[in-house]
Amino acid sequence: MAARDLLRVRDLSTRFFTGEGQINAVESVDFDVREGEVFGIVGESGSGKSVTAFSLLDLVESPGQITSGELWYRDEDLAAEFREQRPEAVDGEFVDLRRTSERVRRSLRGPSFSMVFQDPMSSFNPTLTVGEQIAEAVEVQRRASTNPRSTRSRTQGYGLGRMLAGMVLPDSGYVDEDSEAQAVKLLEEVGIPDPAERYDAYPHQFSGGMLQRAMVAQALAGEPDLLVADEPTTALDVTIQAQILNLLDDLQAETGMSIVLITHNLGVIARMCDRVGVMYAGEIVERGTLEEVFEQSVHPYTEGLLGSIPDLDDPAPRLQPIEGSVPNLLDAEMEDRCYFADRCPKAMEKCLDKPPEIECEGEHAAKCVLAETEYHDSRRLPEDYFEEVADD
Amino acid sequence: MISPRTLRNLRSELRRSALAKLGVTLVVGIFLMAVFAPVLAPHDPTDQNLNDSQLPPLGFSTTENRTTSEFVDGEVTIVEEEVTVNATAEHPLGTDSLGRDVLSRTIYGARTSLLVGVIGALLAVLVGVTYGLVAGYYSGRVDDGLMRAADVMLAFPSLVLAIALIGLWGRAAIRIPDPFVAAGITPGMPPDIVLPGTVVLVVALVNWGWFARVARGEALSLRSQEYVTAARSMGAGDAFIIRTHVFPNSVTPILVLATIQVAAIILLESALSFLGFSGATLSWGFDIAQGRQYLSSSWWIATMPGIAIVLAVVGINLVGDWLRDALDPGIEQGEGGV
Amino acid sequence: MTETLLSVSDLEKHYVDGASLTDRLLGVEPDRVRAVDGVSFEVQRGETLGLVGESGCGKSTTGETLLRLREPTGGTAAFDGEDVFELSGPELATFRRRAGIVFQDPFSSLDPRLTAREIIAEPLVVNDVGTAAERDERAAELIERVGLSTGQLDRYPNEFSGGQRQRIGIARALALEPEFVVCDEPVSALDVSVQAQILNLLDDLQDEFDLTYLFIAHDLSVVRHISDRVAVMYLGEIVERGPVETIFEDPAHPYTEALLRSVPRADPSEHGRRVDALPGDVPSPRDRAACFRAVEDHPYWDSDPLAHADAD
Repeated sequence: MAARDLLRVRDLSTRFFTGEGQINAVESVDFDVREGEVFGIVGESGSGKSVTAFSLLDLVESPGQITSGELWYRDEDLAAEFREQRPEAVDGEFVDLRRTSERVRRSLRGPSFSMVFQDPMSSFNPTLTVGEQIAEAVEVQRRASTNPRSTRSRTQGYGLGRMLAGMVLPDSGYVDEDSEAQAVKLLEEVGIPDPAERYDAYPHQFSGGMLQRAMVAQALAGEPDLLVADEPTTALDVTIQAQILNLLDDLQAETGMSIVLITHNLGVIARMCDRVGVMYAGEIVERGTLEEVFEQSVHPYTEGLLGSIPDLDDPAPRLQPIEGSVPNLLDAEMEDRCYFADRCPKAMEKCLDKPPEIECEGEHAAKCVLAETEYHDSRRLPEDYFEEVADD
Repeated sequence: MISPRTLRNLRSELRRSALAKLGVTLVVGIFLMAVFAPVLAPHDPTDQNLNDSQLPPLGFSTTENRTTSEFVDGEVTIVEEEVTVNATAEHPLGTDSLGRDVLSRTIYGARTSLLVGVIGALLAVLVGVTYGLVAGYYSGRVDDGLMRAADVMLAFPSLVLAIALIGLWGRAAIRIPDPFVAAGITPGMPPDIVLPGTVVLVVALVNWGWFARVARGEALSLRSQEYVTAARSMGAGDAFIIRTHVFPNSVTPILVLATIQVAAIILLESALSFLGFSGATLSWGFDIAQGRQYLSSSWWIATMPGIAIVLAVVGINLVGDWLRDALDPGIEQGEGGV
Repeated sequence: MTETLLSVSDLEKHYVDGASLTDRLLGVEPDRVRAVDGVSFEVQRGETLGLVGESGCGKSTTGETLLRLREPTGGTAAFDGEDVFELSGPELATFRRRAGIVFQDPFSSLDPRLTAREIIAEPLVVNDVGTAAERDERAAELIERVGLSTGQLDRYPNEFSGGQRQRIGIARALALEPEFVVCDEPVSALDVSVQAQILNLLDDLQDEFDLTYLFIAHDLSVVRHISDRVAVMYLGEIVERGPVETIFEDPAHPYTEALLRSVPRADPSEHGRRVDALPGDVPSPRDRAACFRAVEDHPYWDSDPLAHADAD
């Protein structure tokens, strides 16, 4: 049985309005995430992969802004609720979250979506114990489930009065014992030894790998349908990375959740993902199943990436890097062409128009003219074409 | 030394911030006032004229009881009358109890304040930064020892320490011939600029510890930068590394601190003058002290130099903020990236 | 016939941790951190020795101690017959000219207030080589050799990308025409595509200038790609060393095996491969007692730690 889509992202664009000008961090991105799969987004620094993750959870902060796009999320209850109110935001069982209110989107964070970040050290408050912080997440979710669409009930007890009371009276806790017990259980699930004891430890008493596990536990507090993991293993040593990848595997098998895994590491992608999107300069330039992207890659950027990494099992004498460096995404400097053309070994006249996404066989698609045009050396742009343009 | 990029940042921050504009205007104004004091001052600030004492500033008038004696028919009659004293255009800010022109004194006072502030801060920078860079760069025990000494200095209340030192060393003043007078451009103005030498030394001594602290902190973090290790790997000596890598990279915070310290020193100098511990008799603080006893009858004598101090201190602090915002390393490195 | 350029034996670098003034006054016995604990290896002229290990294993400390950027607490390192740790004065200066270093962080390794020209010429200034004009000429030559253009000489580091900065760092390391270069994680801060450019550049430079590399890295694929021989470090010790093929194809030490197992390959066949991951945390030399990993219980752990040592 083919898995159903859980999330359909259409034409998503996120821009940053900075002093230096407009930065097109995410540019018209389309992809689907299915139930129970791992969808990988791979790209280099500055390709917009992390901003894509933040956009999915509506966590983009000023000066950034989601400027267009639709996020169709499948949730029957939500669809039923909105069918009357806002029929344009509902399509079958899907609801376009971009057309719902901020409050609805916020109420979905936790029980529907949650996120694991790259740097576990800065994701925890150093002045609270790890256990408290996880229990807090549990508590928020528990209160939310008693009154689903109200953000108020979830944060009750977090008012100014409570805060002042907390300063004077110790233990006028927001978290009750059930949540604490649940937090210990979560710590155990993510493989932290002696969870009851570790509950009372502070973040600096954890190693990087253990803290990453704790962050996964926190993300699981609301039993999410979709876990967005942004470079979850980048800060870790390779033996610890292997542990965390195993953990994500196990958790997914148990809960059946979907994972969007964002990383620059092609090995991690190959190990974990069912389908992959390759990002470059804010766009998904190629997407498809793991095999399609890795073995029948169409886009020269994907080929370049794969040619750039040394193979652990076969020391090729020479690597095939991509020349040049990643563009800076400033709107003023982005020309209306294939963004990769200036680094592309197969750039042609055609590439000076922006290529649309072209469907190949199966699920495979690429934003590259090579998907339908045969490359021939005679059509190649002169080698110094872009240097001349830059000199003008 | 100043890169075009730094200049660009300074300019754009100046354009952006109204407060920075205000600060720069004030500081430039006071600086020009100090340099061109003999040209700008309408009178010799030390010229006494008891007939014109306590004249109010323009737009104000005061009443004064005047007693005159008249000879009428061989008898002396004492007549008491109430006279209205009007401001004169000759003394736009009025005169003090000895009939000296308040405007001229305020203009000249800028000289003392800025000289003490700038020279004092420069001395403090020289001593403090060298000391702090050495302590931070060598770290460890050298650092422990050196910084303990600096902390002891900072632990004293600065005014008390300053007064004690002046008591110890006396109130020596250095007289520098005024170039405008010497060149014959403004004859009749005071021939010398009086620099209260002890005060300069004392304010530097009281303040160098702050520079030592900041420089030490910078050096401590810079010494572990890889470019310092790189310099060592090519055989560079400590002096070379401090000069080429450590000092230039700690200039920004030191510069910002120095600006703010100039303002603090101006305040300290005023306080010392006010208390009579400075050798200078042409100083804002000194004039405030002089005008204090006439506050009820002639408020302007103390108020005008007081306003001058406030404007100078506010202006310099605003410039300090501008430098800090414009030279912020975050902006300078421009790592941006999304 | 190979010639040994560098021969390290029993290198030790122990730190005294957290000995503050109050500790000393109170007579608290400071902790000794054994960052490098009896490391021995040889580097042949013209080869690349890869030094690989996880964070905190002491690999970077080893590199910096060899270059006398930190003082060792024990052992010897004979460079071309002379013990580096005994050098001083002009002999040390000569050694510094013969050995260079390339750093990991392309941001912190270049002084933000100097131009590319000043950075590349700095070693020449320090060692008083040539006139100002000759230094400029050499800087121009070097910047072109590492793949940048002379038009970029007057730019500041923040105007370059990470990869370009790393090229400038390499040009600086080559300015004094060294024979031996310690590359301390030179590509780990770079993007994949740029990493490949720098690896190729290092390869080319080695051929052109007969360089000998000590290549320190945590990325096993990179080490496999660039090294002739490999030493694997764990907790301040070398647990296995030998020719690159032997280490990667037939590792003797359980830790090496575990490392190799843990690396995910960029190949679809990798999908879903269950890794028998090494349990526990990466140990820190700070708390040796606490760092027990199952692998250390392995029957081969202590049998013959240098099974492949210098088989060639």
